[in-house]
Amino acid sequence: MAGTLPVPKTVRDKPSPTNPFARWSDRAINLFLLFHLFAIPIWCLPSDSLPLLVVRELVRPYFLWSGLFQSWDMFSPSPKRTNGYLEARLVYTDGTSDYWQFPRMDRLSQNERYLKERYRKFEEILTDDKFSDLWPDVARYIARHPPNGSKRPEMIMLIRNWSDLVRNADGSFTDLPWQSRVFYRYRVEPEDFNGQ
Amino acid sequence: MNAILALWNRFFFAEQSPVPLALFRIVYGLLVIVTILLLKADWISWYGTHAWMSLDTMRELEPGVRLNLFTILPKDDRSVIALFWIFLASAVLLTVGFLSRLNSIVVYLCLASIQQRNLYILHGGDTFLRVAGFFLIFAPAGAALSVDRLLRVWRGREQSGVPAHRLWAQRMIQIELSLVYFATFCWKLKGTAWMEGSALFYIFHLFELRRFPLPDLLLQPGILKLGTWSAMVLEFSLGTLIWVRRIRYKVLAAGLLFHLSLEYSLNVPMFQWDVLSAYLLFIDARDLERAWNWVSIRLSPWLGEPVTVIYDSHSERTRRLVNLLIAVDIFRRLVFKASDETRNQTAAEGEQNKRKLVIATSSGPCLETDAGRMLAKAIPLLWPLVPCCYVWKVVQNWK
Repeated sequence: MAGTLPVPKTVRDKPSPTNPFARWSDRAINLFLLFHLFAIPIWCLPSDSLPLLVVRELVRPYFLWSGLFQSWDMFSPSPKRTNGYLEARLVYTDGTSDYWQFPRMDRLSQNERYLKERYRKFEEILTDDKFSDLWPDVARYIARHPPNGSKRPEMIMLIRNWSDLVRNADGSFTDLPWQSRVFYRYRVEPEDFNGQ
Repeated sequence: MNAILALWNRFFFAEQSPVPLALFRIVYGLLVIVTILLLKADWISWYGTHAWMSLDTMRELEPGVRLNLFTILPKDDRSVIALFWIFLASAVLLTVGFLSRLNSIVVYLCLASIQQRNLYILHGGDTFLRVAGFFLIFAPAGAALSVDRLLRVWRGREQSGVPAHRLWAQRMIQIELSLVYFATFCWKLKGTAWMEGSALFYIFHLFELRRFPLPDLLLQPGILKLGTWSAMVLEFSLGTLIWVRRIRYKVLAAGLLFHLSLEYSLNVPMFQWDVLSAYLLFIDARDLERAWNWVSIRLSPWLGEPVTVIYDSHSERTRRLVNLLIAVDIFRRLVFKASDETRNQTAAEGEQNKRKLVIATSSGPCLETDAGRMLAKAIPLLWPLVPCCYVWKVVQNWK
């Protein structure tokens, strides 16, 4: 690839023209910079004061369109305190049933875990009731990919398994026993297999 | 007011070396390539017509007009697969710096599209790649270390030195990085687990996030408490003190250690590297030059004797070729001499060598194919061409 790494002395840190707003193109760049320097921090800093909410609503269409929306609440304000995984129970027309396992991070090899990490994130979203509109799509996907490929399921049950992590008085922590709950049932329709 | 304008002007519009930006472009391109390849096995599962989540559901859950190529693609998996290959090819071209501006736009469009297609499988690193990619579109990403630059040098539009550029778009990526840390710090201030020092305990005890095992010593409540607060101090420092030139490298070094420790302990693929890539933009080009000199000097014994290239300084074509070689010769393996500087060649040889490059060797001058082969062997970036030179010679001899 091109370009010597050494920086020629003649071109180092030349001062720019004194007035940055002189040309129309410079004016446009400056407006672009001013807008983004103003809007991005307002978008991503965790404050819900009214003026900030108003500005966020004003810039929302542009941020959503351009892809500049962002949130940096990594492991915060509180990290997750529950270990968990998802599975699905498939009931076939002949009355038999089967389990469909989402990739479980603790049972995968290092390489598989690296490849399948997005499933962990997706499962985290799926267990949140806010995203219940996702459940029919997920159930349909599982119906199209049953573990027993020769049979078509008639019912899909999404099951959440979890174990809370509790902090003891002496500073140590305990994993509580595993719990399980069916959080969604989906009756599979013949048209769910259309176009497969 | 004038002082503020001058400061603004200097910060955003002072012309500087684009080499750190070019390095960032290369690393950014590589990160995008790895991200795409990691997604390859599940590409259709995430983005296909019968994916985990349909496009319509995504649009219902996250309404709004968005840059998303999936909304205009034909509704079949072939187009989704084609998008994968276009995305990958464009990321490769961006990495090598060919049609850098166009490819930065294509990469951004593809990246934004796959993220908009399924927002529920993203982590912070993906978001950072997207936002940095947006500003990279406006940056002179191909100004150095790129095929674009080689072409400009060959066409005579640039000389061997890398011209300075206004790097306001690079500044926006730098600001974005510091904002990432500062916003993260502010979010943590709102969490009791962070304030009381127990946050890291929860994080390291989530089996779904674990990567490599940590020594028991590091999992003691006292150490984890210290680690929790240290992470907050570090994130605040990286969000603010990174702008203080005097201590910048110390802050960056602490950030590097912080991210490497997270890369070891937590399974969040590519996140740490995505964020670390922007550290390159905080390195002064002069320091990069010094570091590169250090590397070159240490590598030179392994690369053999420098090669002397004699060229006709009156020939425009040869001068351009020399500029091209200087641009490619990043390990400084070549010593250039204009033919009028070389006294020991006869008039007949001088006439013969006009408009040609001559490689001076102990056994006499090398010309044409032999010279090309010697250059390819001398310059590490041209090593892939060495077999081609041999094949070319065999073909010539056969003819």
